[in-house]
Amino acid sequence: MPKKSLTQELVKGVWSENPVTRQLLGLCSVLAVSNAVINGIAMGLAVTFVLVFSSLLVSLVRKLIPNQVRIASYIVIIASFVTIADRVLAAYFPDLSKAMGPYVPLIVVNCIILGRAEAFASKNNVGRATIDAVGMSAGYVLTLLLMGIVRELLGNRTILGHQVLGKAFEPWVVMLLPPGAFIMLGLIISVANFIEIKAKQRRKSS
Amino acid sequence: MSLLVIFISAVLINNFVFYYFLGLCPYLGVSRRLGPSLSMGMAVTFVLSLTAVSSWMINHWVLIPNGLDYLQIVSFILVIAALVQLVEMFIRKVSPPLYQAMGIYLPLITTNCIIMGLALLAALRNYNFVETVVFGISAGLGFTLAIVLMAAIREQLDLADVPKPLQGAGIALITAGIIALAFMGFSGIIK
Amino acid sequence: MSLSTRMVVVLTAIGLLSGSFLAIVGEVTKERIKLNRKKEIEQAVLLVVPEAATSQTVYEEGSLAVHLAKKEDGEPVGLGLQASGSGFQDKITLIIGTNLDLTRITSLTIIDQKETPGLGAKITDKMAFLRYWENRDCTQALKLRKPPVEDPQALAANEVNAITGATISSQSVLNIVNAAVARAKQLQAEGKFKPGN
Repeated sequence: MPKKSLTQELVKGVWSENPVTRQLLGLCSVLAVSNAVINGIAMGLAVTFVLVFSSLLVSLVRKLIPNQVRIASYIVIIASFVTIADRVLAAYFPDLSKAMGPYVPLIVVNCIILGRAEAFASKNNVGRATIDAVGMSAGYVLTLLLMGIVRELLGNRTILGHQVLGKAFEPWVVMLLPPGAFIMLGLIISVANFIEIKAKQRRKSS
Repeated sequence: MSLLVIFISAVLINNFVFYYFLGLCPYLGVSRRLGPSLSMGMAVTFVLSLTAVSSWMINHWVLIPNGLDYLQIVSFILVIAALVQLVEMFIRKVSPPLYQAMGIYLPLITTNCIIMGLALLAALRNYNFVETVVFGISAGLGFTLAIVLMAAIREQLDLADVPKPLQGAGIALITAGIIALAFMGFSGIIK
Repeated sequence: MSLSTRMVVVLTAIGLLSGSFLAIVGEVTKERIKLNRKKEIEQAVLLVVPEAATSQTVYEEGSLAVHLAKKEDGEPVGLGLQASGSGFQDKITLIIGTNLDLTRITSLTIIDQKETPGLGAKITDKMAFLRYWENRDCTQALKLRKPPVEDPQALAANEVNAITGATISSQSVLNIVNAAVARAKQLQAEGKFKPGN
């Protein structure tokens, strides 16, 4: 596989290799915290922080770590950054930390992060690994935002707590509940597939 | 809180898959066929029970007495990783047929958020030892129930004419949503 | 270096580094996290006891803590009972504001809950639920009014509104409040805490 340009490395995370819609990674957190936009943003930032710094560090030490213990080492590195994110949120943004409950510590098992550490950061230099992590985070955050906006709007008539839809719109409470999350994500993934299929057909015919 | 309440709540009402969204990777990945789903469910239940025991011991005997609660995440994940390794080696030695059935799923379980989620939730809720163990087993049974239901539906879905963009994850998630909706019906059971 | 020594060295190094780093972060944030919780509870007490300016914890046991609220000039004005119990989904923690002799509930606020969003979670909603808890007579156990009425005046002095579609969550809150008030009265009778000082 020829090396991609740095821009391609960055952009692939948003669409062609989007961690959520394409690779189906990190679904737990996407479903769990997308019932309000603000939670989605906080979770997105926390994951971005952990992903970027773990990728950076893993890539830095990749030549020092023997192959047999690499997963264990990655896990410790990731867990450390997750703990930092968790403690900082709890100390300085207690409301957000409460709303996200146990999902911040669960970033440690978010497959996106271990997945990128194993598949990319451990094989590429620091610059590339960081850019890849930033791109992947962007893809994750965008999907989370999209979910959050739709669910908060339909379920609570608001976006970021501001009333958007009028009283005449009866809120779809189900959108805030787990079933709404599953169905919404299913639809988003299907739409992404649909666009991809159409694009492929166009490429073929041209 | 009585043990029965913890049991019913973890299996039906606050099912780990449908309420906490935990364990989705294997849930979507392995739920294509009934047989493997059942094996996966059993493997997860087994590891969950062991995790419940060991994470409780670490938390209450090592971390809390020494005020090291900030090491919770790191130590839980290491315990889980080590535990899964040990279980894998143990099963391979003791029962090769069981290893055949469960073995390939075991490494996958380390990164399964349901295990970590259980350890953290049990710590968060301050469950005592017995409650933690019951919580672990019930969570595993809840997961097994969820994945077996899903596999049974997906086997039928294979015969249906699903529109192309919906195939795979799309229809699986929507199906999960509908099952989750049905599970909400259980939420009045306790009192 | 042989492979196995290298493995051990690398793992120990990573473990030590991460451990010591986390210890620093843990120490830095520890106080602050404790303080946040304390502040949250104090603010809740001031919210539910009118005229209160400060609060301090005077008694604590398993699922109940009693906070004494004082006016600006140090005169006690009421009690904040912090109580928790099981709700529909998970534990509910709330703070009940009462007068000093525990005969009247001034107001109620919910600190922690994980009830169903849009239904049971309405127990945190001022208009839908909490305002019906203001000025309740708690000389006897409170009762739930269902179906709920719109006007708070239409409720009897010891009645509170249920939430339509979330009777169980409402009932859970009621049970926690009744248990906490009864227990607090008992404690006060036993002289476990004195409202006067």
